[in-house]
Amino acid sequence: MSQSLDAYLILSGLLFAIGTFGFLARRNAIAMLMSIELMLNAVNLSIVAFGAFVPSLAGDGALIALFVMAVAAAEATVGLAIVIAIYRNKRTPLVDEYASMRE
Amino acid sequence: MPFFTAAPEAVPGAVSATDQALVLSLIVLPLIGFGLTALIGRRLGGRAWIIAVAAIVLTWLAAMVLVYQTLFVGAFGEAGLHVLVYEWIPAGAFTVDIAFGVDALTAVMLIVVATVGMLVHIYSIGYMAHDPGRWRFFAYLNLFMFSMLLLVLADNFLLLFVAWELVGLCSYLLVGFWYRRRSAALAAKKAFLVNRVGDVGFTLGIVAIWTTVGTLDFGQVFQLLPEALATGAIEQWHMIGICLLLFAGAMGKSAQFPLHVWLPDAMEGPTPVSALIHAATMVNAGVYLVARSNPLFAQAPEALVVVAAVGIFTAIMAASIAFTQTDIKRVLAYSTLSQLGYMFAALGVGAFIPAIFHLLTHGFFKGLLFLGSGSVIHAVHDEQDMDRMGGLRKRIAITHLTMLVGSLAIAGIPPLAGFFSKDEILAESFKLGFAWVWFIGIVVALMTGFYMFRLMGKTFYGPSHVDPEVEPRIHESPRSMTVPLVVLAVASAVVGLALGFPFENGILHGWLEPVFHGAEETLGHAGGDYQLFGIDGTLLLISTGVSVAGVLLGWRFFGFLSRRPQPEAVERLTQRLRPAYAFSKGKWYFDELNDLLFVRLGGLVARALWWFDVHIIDGTVNGIANLTRSSGGGLRQIQTGHVQNYALGIAAGLLIIALGYLVVVTR
Repeated sequence: MSQSLDAYLILSGLLFAIGTFGFLARRNAIAMLMSIELMLNAVNLSIVAFGAFVPSLAGDGALIALFVMAVAAAEATVGLAIVIAIYRNKRTPLVDEYASMRE
Repeated sequence: MPFFTAAPEAVPGAVSATDQALVLSLIVLPLIGFGLTALIGRRLGGRAWIIAVAAIVLTWLAAMVLVYQTLFVGAFGEAGLHVLVYEWIPAGAFTVDIAFGVDALTAVMLIVVATVGMLVHIYSIGYMAHDPGRWRFFAYLNLFMFSMLLLVLADNFLLLFVAWELVGLCSYLLVGFWYRRRSAALAAKKAFLVNRVGDVGFTLGIVAIWTTVGTLDFGQVFQLLPEALATGAIEQWHMIGICLLLFAGAMGKSAQFPLHVWLPDAMEGPTPVSALIHAATMVNAGVYLVARSNPLFAQAPEALVVVAAVGIFTAIMAASIAFTQTDIKRVLAYSTLSQLGYMFAALGVGAFIPAIFHLLTHGFFKGLLFLGSGSVIHAVHDEQDMDRMGGLRKRIAITHLTMLVGSLAIAGIPPLAGFFSKDEILAESFKLGFAWVWFIGIVVALMTGFYMFRLMGKTFYGPSHVDPEVEPRIHESPRSMTVPLVVLAVASAVVGLALGFPFENGILHGWLEPVFHGAEETLGHAGGDYQLFGIDGTLLLISTGVSVAGVLLGWRFFGFLSRRPQPEAVERLTQRLRPAYAFSKGKWYFDELNDLLFVRLGGLVARALWWFDVHIIDGTVNGIANLTRSSGGGLRQIQTGHVQNYALGIAAGLLIIALGYLVVVTR
């Protein structure tokens, strides 16, 4: 375990950037959901790191990370349900085809 | 709400239930007549008049009892009878009541309104017998009587104004009675519009009174406004302004220059209407208004000079136009303008009683002349052009005789009614220091005799110019028409002598003295003794001589009884005075002037304003709307529906915020 907070934050930032790129670049709805998971976990990593290195937080970081996991699970459930529902209609997982809400 | 209770300012116990019932019946009876005739009149067919005439006869009876009580018994004292019916507008300290007042002035007006009104109703039975719309006619006529009685009975300015507009409405309805005729519809519209001009002034005057003294009740206004002037609460020009604004209303209703243009055109209405509304009653409303407001006008002598100038100018202008008109009713209409001008001149010089006296006598003899002209028109089958009449004297003898009385009366030949009232106006003008009014008045008196006997000559004497087809069918009118003529002729003959003799000290003066006493005192018109063998006698001789000269001139040119008319002499005179003749025949080109000023020039201004409205006002409003719409249209292109575009926006926004934060914090 590295003794530097910076290393964790850099890793977290990299993971978040990859997640963002994935969300913006991938056309597959499932892949986009996975990208969201990646971003959420990047955030989790930074929270846990802060919890370990900042004395005033005194380990609360882990607790918050648990909450984020719970919310992420719920979000993934709803997200998947939506994607399945749309898929049944459109017969495609590609979000390019989901543009019926345009002006 | 206190129904049927005495107004507080009345003497306690002086208002009996009978008197209240009398006053109210004057208002209610014609209104009931109007309602019933309007509802079931059509079903009555040829008898549509029955309810209307019955209502007005009853009204006349009630009016006469009231007049007798007021003028002969003096039952209500100098303050008169005041009846409060209903608190109409209670608004804090400011209240307007439906309240009626009967004093000597109202009673004198009641004599004219009720009597001529009743006679015209009876006359109309015959005159309108063949008109399919007669039920409508009688309904309107009843509505007019209601409005006119309301006007003279009203005890505050607002109620007066309501009645003022109601008579205007009735005038509109009756002038346009034959609305299928385009000229009648246009004349009705013209009357209504021209009156609006005057009414703007009247309305402003009422508002000015209200803002100054906070009440519109006659008694209080006439007391508080002069007091405010005396204590310096308001300045002299306020008083003059209020008076001139009220006079503007009077000018509209009484058709004084320059708002006189509607009255001659109003002759498009049925002749009984011309007699009742446009000669004997409604057009006098302006005179009544100024006379009623005499305590105010007395405080504003400058305004009175304006009244006198407008009046006497109208008198001579209208008389000069009457010279050349060939429509029998139009001659009478201009004559009415001229006589109304006399009344305003009298009011203007401060001779209030002679003005009302002339109003009374004029109501009778001009009502008579109009009804007579209606009888003539009836006889020659709806022909109004005097060039196509002539020689009717023996064919319609009763009409001829009664109209002769009326013509002599309006010309001012003693001892008929017009002589007394007109002489009094002229004499008072001279003695009160308005020599110019007197002089013009004398000229007008000469002209009056001439144009009236031009009318008589062209209609009744000399050879007949009647359409040969109609000629054998000329007939005297039915009794329902001739009886009112005879009654009015008798009234025109005796009313002056009965009420105005001895000169300036007749019964009428005794009646009206309390009403105008204060104003005369304010103006400093001390009533000197009447000097028959001094100044008064001289003035009397001059005015009588001039009137007789006018009549003789008329005889000279247009014939009288068996004297032949002199068409060649008339033609020579016309040729010699060609421009003046054209000017008079063209009615001084007032219609053309108004057309130029208001229709063309006003039209240009209106069109410019319209352009401004369409392009600038609407342009601004539409511009804002267009801007919003087009910017919205542009912005909505962003909404692609692709979720990743939105996400990119969110990410970009987040990045900008983060970078901004870094820049701010690390600086």
